[in-house]
Amino acid sequence: MSNAELLLPLLVAVPILMAAVPIALGLWFDRTGWSVTALTTVGLFAATSYVAATVYETGREVHVLGGWEEPQGIGIELVADPFSALIVLLVTVTAAGLLAYTRTGGPRGNTFYAGYLLLVGGLIGLSLTGDVFNMFVFLEIVGLGTYAMISSGDGPESAVAALKYLILGTVGASLYLIGVGFLFMATGALNIEVLGTEAIPAIVEEGGSDLTLLRAAFAFIFVGFALKVAQWPLHTWQPDAYQHAPDGVTPLIAALVSTVSAYALGRVMFTAFGVEFLATTPYLQEIVVTVGAVSVVAGSTLAVVQQDVKRMFAYSSVSQFGLVIAAYGALTETALVGAIIHLIGHGVMKAGLFVAAGVIAISYGARTVDEYAGLAENRPLAAGSTAILLIALIGIPPSAGFIGKWYIAVGAIQAELWSIAAVIFLSTMLTLAYAARLLEKMYFTPATPVESPHPPGVATDGGEPNEGQESSSEHRTDGGVLANESRFERGSPDAVSLGMFILLVGIAISAVVLGFAGGLFFEWLEPFTSEVFN
Amino acid sequence: MIEADLLTMAYPPLLIFAAALLVLVLPRTLGFALGALSLASVVAISFLAPDGALLSGTFLGFADVQPFYIDEFTRMMGIALGFLGTFAVIYAYSSEATRQMTAIALAYVASAIGAAFAGDWLSLVFMWEIMALTSTLLVWNYGGDAVRAGYRYALAHGIGGSLVLFAVAAHYAQARTFVFGEGVEYADAVLAGGIAPGLPMLLAILGIGVNVAFVGFHTWLPDTYPRPHFAASVFLAAFTTKTSAYVLLRAVPEGNIYLAYMGGLMAVYGVVFALLQHDMRALLSYHIQAQLGYMVAGIGIGTTIGAAGAMGHLFNNVLYKSLLFMAVGVVIYRTKENDLYKLGGLWREMPLTAIAFFIGALSITAVPGFSGFISKGMVLDAAQGYFGGPEHTALFWLLFIGAIGTFLSFIKLGYYVFFHGESDREVRDSRPGQTTAMFTVGGACVVLGLPAIGWPIFTDLLPLIDGTQFAGPEGVEELTPYSVGHLEDAAILIAVSAVGFKLIRKPLSKMDYSDPALIVNPTGYHLGRTSMIAITDLYAAVDDAVVSFVTSCYWIGNNPALAVDETARRLPNWVVDVEDHRPADGGRPSTIHLRASIGLTVLLLTIILTIVLWLLVS
Repeated sequence: MSNAELLLPLLVAVPILMAAVPIALGLWFDRTGWSVTALTTVGLFAATSYVAATVYETGREVHVLGGWEEPQGIGIELVADPFSALIVLLVTVTAAGLLAYTRTGGPRGNTFYAGYLLLVGGLIGLSLTGDVFNMFVFLEIVGLGTYAMISSGDGPESAVAALKYLILGTVGASLYLIGVGFLFMATGALNIEVLGTEAIPAIVEEGGSDLTLLRAAFAFIFVGFALKVAQWPLHTWQPDAYQHAPDGVTPLIAALVSTVSAYALGRVMFTAFGVEFLATTPYLQEIVVTVGAVSVVAGSTLAVVQQDVKRMFAYSSVSQFGLVIAAYGALTETALVGAIIHLIGHGVMKAGLFVAAGVIAISYGARTVDEYAGLAENRPLAAGSTAILLIALIGIPPSAGFIGKWYIAVGAIQAELWSIAAVIFLSTMLTLAYAARLLEKMYFTPATPVESPHPPGVATDGGEPNEGQESSSEHRTDGGVLANESRFERGSPDAVSLGMFILLVGIAISAVVLGFAGGLFFEWLEPFTSEVFN
Repeated sequence: MIEADLLTMAYPPLLIFAAALLVLVLPRTLGFALGALSLASVVAISFLAPDGALLSGTFLGFADVQPFYIDEFTRMMGIALGFLGTFAVIYAYSSEATRQMTAIALAYVASAIGAAFAGDWLSLVFMWEIMALTSTLLVWNYGGDAVRAGYRYALAHGIGGSLVLFAVAAHYAQARTFVFGEGVEYADAVLAGGIAPGLPMLLAILGIGVNVAFVGFHTWLPDTYPRPHFAASVFLAAFTTKTSAYVLLRAVPEGNIYLAYMGGLMAVYGVVFALLQHDMRALLSYHIQAQLGYMVAGIGIGTTIGAAGAMGHLFNNVLYKSLLFMAVGVVIYRTKENDLYKLGGLWREMPLTAIAFFIGALSITAVPGFSGFISKGMVLDAAQGYFGGPEHTALFWLLFIGAIGTFLSFIKLGYYVFFHGESDREVRDSRPGQTTAMFTVGGACVVLGLPAIGWPIFTDLLPLIDGTQFAGPEGVEELTPYSVGHLEDAAILIAVSAVGFKLIRKPLSKMDYSDPALIVNPTGYHLGRTSMIAITDLYAAVDDAVVSFVTSCYWIGNNPALAVDETARRLPNWVVDVEDHRPADGGRPSTIHLRASIGLTVLLLTIILTIVLWLLVS
């Protein structure tokens, strides 16, 4: 038993166990959450790096749980291969990095960090699991973590958004579970490896009623995931969740939750169902491509009309995941690599954009597109990073956004799926539209002083003590003064810590640097893709 | 000869880009000097570098990438763009260009030179996209009117760039390689390679067509170029279109007769519209299209002389078109006036600028003794079928009409700006840096066109031509630009134009659209007028549509709550919850009160699941 293999269960178990620690320590100390979480996530990252290095050499690491010997239909396993290792790396890096923001940006409190660790554990489990039933379990854990994260915002809107995700997410996961049920009826297997190499190919060859069951299973699983990945028109939970979650939480959710769900869909589609099943089932490819393509167009169109910046980015995610799903539908090696790169790249870029949105909200008090006017003058660093990330999102080389789109385009053209090529073209144009809107505001529109909600002297009488007014406006004095201060000074630049800036600039740089790593990704994923497309 | 290793380090776009960054931080004089120096070094590198790929490597997982590739084509491009760029920076220095603008301009030049030096389609397309981005920034940088035009410019180039991207991807799917000259073989090509036939070729021609301003795709050009800072116009005029014309030759090495006629059409269309302009820079912008017409025609004809003529014309165009933009820029700088009818008699006020302008004008109108004469003659020869190749009489006449129109419009521009009565204002002449830039570039125009001694230097610089000789289909041919026939043609051209201008001056100044082609060619008149009106209307309609779309997007963007409420109220209540629009609370801008309800989403989920199940299982 190698070290890396032993690490796999720990990667899942440690964060979930550690989630209890901040709460337990909370009995005695007030603010231990951050330290515990930082320690855990950094440790997880180190362990993941080690696992990834091992996977690079061996190609695949498997840990069998519960005494099921390999290979069995119901083998419960944790599997690290190039695809899942890459996703776990993204999860751990993001989870560790974003702590630099939450340190001072909040939310605070031991319970929050307990949820944070639970979510990270669920995400890692979802990435590593080797059987479709535990995938459901981890999907639920991720869901639970996400509800907790979203509702940690103060205000009724966060609670409503969390409730919406709670209900819709559970419905989606239930559909997935029904699909798994059908799958089990058809094949008698749950292990993804067994499904992919023996059970499903045999049924595809044989045909008959089992094949019908299999197709029904795919339909349920796909629609369930379409909701989890926020494909239009099942995306409705997502903009609310992203907008109303606290600024420190949105980057985590936006970068990871849907990404890992999309990964899980890719895993089930390509490793379990297999390309042969996907290609031979009539209409299947068309359905997948259509769902993705429609999301791309609808998502970016909705993004163009948004006024709230976080909501705009949320709709942009709908469209970017549409691209990934459409690329899955192309069923070529290049497009699959493109989809994976886009998953990673989008995670990085969106994390950066939401961090930037948070930093700008704190330091400049701007949350809507109009309020971003003159940002470049006043907060050059935040504006510059946002600009780089937006340009990367459009897909102008060299950037993470470009290589993803590029491989997807090449793959689509190889498969002669012109609709995908057209959709990439459209999505680039529409991304350009909403990114240009923000860029223009930041760089070419001078800042206008925000009008005070109440004219000075009416809401506050701090300047001129007046006995007569004192009683009538006493209860409003505090609020009025606060409002005026924050309006006229445009946020509080000092509240932005060095850690936030390093994080933001680091993400922006890595979004560009990833643009040079296309070949590296291709090579790294080679063992996985060649197995899928052998 | 420099060591090849050393050259690998000196990848020109990187040098220029470094200079661009330095311009931002260094003191102004030092920064601009470095910028000019970096471009001058590009000229030196182009002269000295040995042929072949000087940089090669793996990019995006594709092994055969050569971002720095030297052959006779890229060498000529490097010399032309580097030379002009050097003096454009000097010009910008004297023209009170900001450091920020110059940094963007240098980044733009870097990407254009990167595209020119590319040895494969992948690096080319990469630089192509960056070029679109940096040129848009250069336009935006000026603010005001330029922002909206820049937005339209960005959309045009975004569409063109994506088409080229797809062309290259489709080319790769067929040829399995990106390298120029490999994977595809055309029988009658003037240089090896090209874009794979069929769909890739179509996409490439359309995509590049946006950049070289095919008639109908050209609206961004006169729309954008007159708007930014006048020194920015000098940069814009030289790089995008010329680099694209070179890329067109790479893509279509065999030529295409429809392309050639498109070139002829561009030449006529460009000059007709140029004649009708009031704005000096708009007039010059339409001339860019007309001049590109000659290059596209030469490339389209597809013979050696045609391609060499196109490249020669490209080289000259970089020089004299920028020279003209520089001279007009000085006029605008000193008089703050864009309308040529509001100027006059300026030659007494600014004789140096006037001389520089007339050198440029004589070059572009192809008067013997100036460089334009040599290259335009080569394209016309190609159209007439000299030196082998079929004869295209109609094309020749289109190009000839274009030449007359060029003549007329430059007489018009020169006459109204520098003569035509007394100047009613006192202005100073160009500043030293501007003068230096104009006269160096102008000097090159003169030297490269001189009879007997000058022009062989020029033709030697051209690809496909060795000294003054080249390999035609019937053996080695000798170029004779100063033959009796060529001079006769030039004389006819000048005579017709001089008479023509006399006749049309009055009506033209009243702008009653009495087309100059009326006197020269009645058929051309009717054709020209109909297509002109059709395309103007089309442009107006497209512009209206775009503007109203953008306006409504802006309105929706600015009043999202109103727009969405409006839409949402028309939907039944169970579909979306419309919250009552609250008055501005605490000055917070209105937010969208639109939430698809949970019930609706579950309904949609059910519907989609049903459809998918039905499709898959039934």
